[in-house]
Amino acid sequence: MDILNILVVGLLLGGIYGLVSIGLNLIFGVIRIVNFAHGELVMLGMYGAYLAYATLGLDPYIAVLLVVPALFVVGIIVHRLVLQPLHAESNMQIFATFGLLIILQNAVLAITRGEGFSVPSKVAGFTFGVGDIRVTVSRLVIFLALTATAIALHLFLKRTLIGKSIRAVTQDRQAARLMGINVERTFTITFGIGSALAGLAGVLLSPIYTLSPGIGGNFILAAFAVVVLGGLGSVAGAYFGGMIVGLVEAFAGFYIDPELKQAIWFLIFLVVLIVRPTGLFGQVGAEEVGFREQN
Amino acid sequence: MRGAMAALCGIVLAAGAASAQQTLRIGAINPYSGPLALYGDEVARGYQLAVDEKNSRGGVLGRKVELVRGDAANPQQGIAAVDQLVTRDNVDVFIGTYISAVSNAASDAALRHNKLYWDTNAVAAELTERKLPNFIRVGPNASIFADTSVRAMVEMIAPGLNKQPKDLSVWIEHEDSIYGKSIADIQKKLLEGKGVKVLGQGAHNFRAADLTDVVLRTKRANPDVWLLTGYTPDGNLLLKTSREQGFKPPVILMVGTGDTPETLEALGPEFLEGVFVVSYPRPDISEQFGPGASAYLAAYRKAYNRDPIAPQSLTAYTGMRILLETIEAAGSTEVEKVRAAAAKMDKPLNSYPSGFGVKFDDKFQNTRAIFTVIQWQGGKQVTVFPPEARGSGGSLKNTPRKQ
Repeated sequence: MDILNILVVGLLLGGIYGLVSIGLNLIFGVIRIVNFAHGELVMLGMYGAYLAYATLGLDPYIAVLLVVPALFVVGIIVHRLVLQPLHAESNMQIFATFGLLIILQNAVLAITRGEGFSVPSKVAGFTFGVGDIRVTVSRLVIFLALTATAIALHLFLKRTLIGKSIRAVTQDRQAARLMGINVERTFTITFGIGSALAGLAGVLLSPIYTLSPGIGGNFILAAFAVVVLGGLGSVAGAYFGGMIVGLVEAFAGFYIDPELKQAIWFLIFLVVLIVRPTGLFGQVGAEEVGFREQN
Repeated sequence: MRGAMAALCGIVLAAGAASAQQTLRIGAINPYSGPLALYGDEVARGYQLAVDEKNSRGGVLGRKVELVRGDAANPQQGIAAVDQLVTRDNVDVFIGTYISAVSNAASDAALRHNKLYWDTNAVAAELTERKLPNFIRVGPNASIFADTSVRAMVEMIAPGLNKQPKDLSVWIEHEDSIYGKSIADIQKKLLEGKGVKVLGQGAHNFRAADLTDVVLRTKRANPDVWLLTGYTPDGNLLLKTSREQGFKPPVILMVGTGDTPETLEALGPEFLEGVFVVSYPRPDISEQFGPGASAYLAAYRKAYNRDPIAPQSLTAYTGMRILLETIEAAGSTEVEKVRAAAAKMDKPLNSYPSGFGVKFDDKFQNTRAIFTVIQWQGGKQVTVFPPEARGSGGSLKNTPRKQ
């Protein structure tokens, strides 16, 4: 019976990693920016949920309606004010996101003095189970939200005009520009969507954790592993990459040693990089595009 | 009359000049910015209360005492803060520090300036093992953490479960840095010495995104007592996960953290009911156990308009009081004289508001510094161990745990 529960634990944990990674993967895949501040955007989503609770008394599952649009706007502003002016120098963009990380962490620190907040929810802690299998609402919601988000994002990229322009820019920004696509605007929208997804992750994670300004760092390493494992810019990659990391961690932690679990999934990460550098679901050659043409 | 006025003016002028020249300056090294600032501030509040109290009674050696803060969140900053406080602010002695790594570096730096480093709140056992000639620790260390947790288990928890120590089983869980590991290793040795069955010793990273594996492994081992040493985020996550996974050990005993509002908000009073925490003595201890504890609480509330954020400030307050007494006994702030006076001090347990006594060993670790154990009861932290520290009517609740 243990093994079934571990399977469920691993899948639900995969939901957490997938949700944190999906926005990062979009930004990474489309704009080719390694967004070091992604964990801090997740952190902002968490504190957004806390703010909505502290001022309006909202449950995080309602606050999501406010925080996600707010993070979309934050993403748009950050891209326009910080990243777009540096578009000619991609290395500087990476440094800029690192600077953003430090600013966001310290701003929240200055406001909260580092006190560990909790966001209460009426429903998040409810647990149900069959036999030894235990499922908590907060983790189930994250899993369902990730699945819904992945499908919606897939349809958005496939069916809508903006989605098509994002895919075109991903494949070849030079050609996209020649076809009349506004590359800069596409980037800004993409960054906004990626930030909104980070906000979604933050709000839904907030009932599980004790909030601290540095909490984004707890997820970011795993998120980068998921992105590279799954494949740059691939929605399915973030989804299944998250599941793989979650399952490996749950099984390795339970059957081998909780201390070694990170080492084990980074071992898998290295093997994938060597055998299939584009990731499991990435387009062959996609990992090189960013360096091949920076206009 | 005129003569009397002139004489009075003369005295006032002289006193003013004296206090300006001879203020006794104490450099307080702690993190006052960054993620560790909350407790750094809290410790400094304890120092300040002791200083204010002394100044209202005429100061030390006829000198007014002034606290000068040196902000240090890591060892490099600790060294820089000490250098700056000596050269710019002319401090006479140093006091600190609730981060052991900072205490380590800063006390070393203070030695180069031949200044005393009086430690009140760092717990790493190694600090006094260095035998630095300027280092004195008046507060409890990590091995006292381990010792108190084991004594509470054998003397209070085993009887509470109607068991002999040899029938008691324990899982030792700790965060995987030197802090958690050093405490866990001593716990294991002491418990096995008492015949208690140690079912396993597990380690985890305090920043891990998930600790379900840790909880399930412990659940499989099925211990009577779940002994947890870590920080606030991982402690909260472990308790939440145990609730989700239906892991209900008869006793949960936490070490170091878990006794603050941060844990109460995360878990709620119903779940916490009956959880034990080994931590710094709290102001609710009985007056016989900690004479002056309630006066301290009143002074804190008056000065800061709230209850203490964490119990560390009471230990800091007590540590500063003992420092000022020792300086008075030495008649000086020179390292050798203070040390000689400290070596002669002999106060029985329960002499100070935190329940401390004073008797230094040859490494200048205070052997009469203590931790106490609280139990969460109705959303409040109630001191339950040692038994003589309990306020009136204190007894164990929800032991063994029902929910």
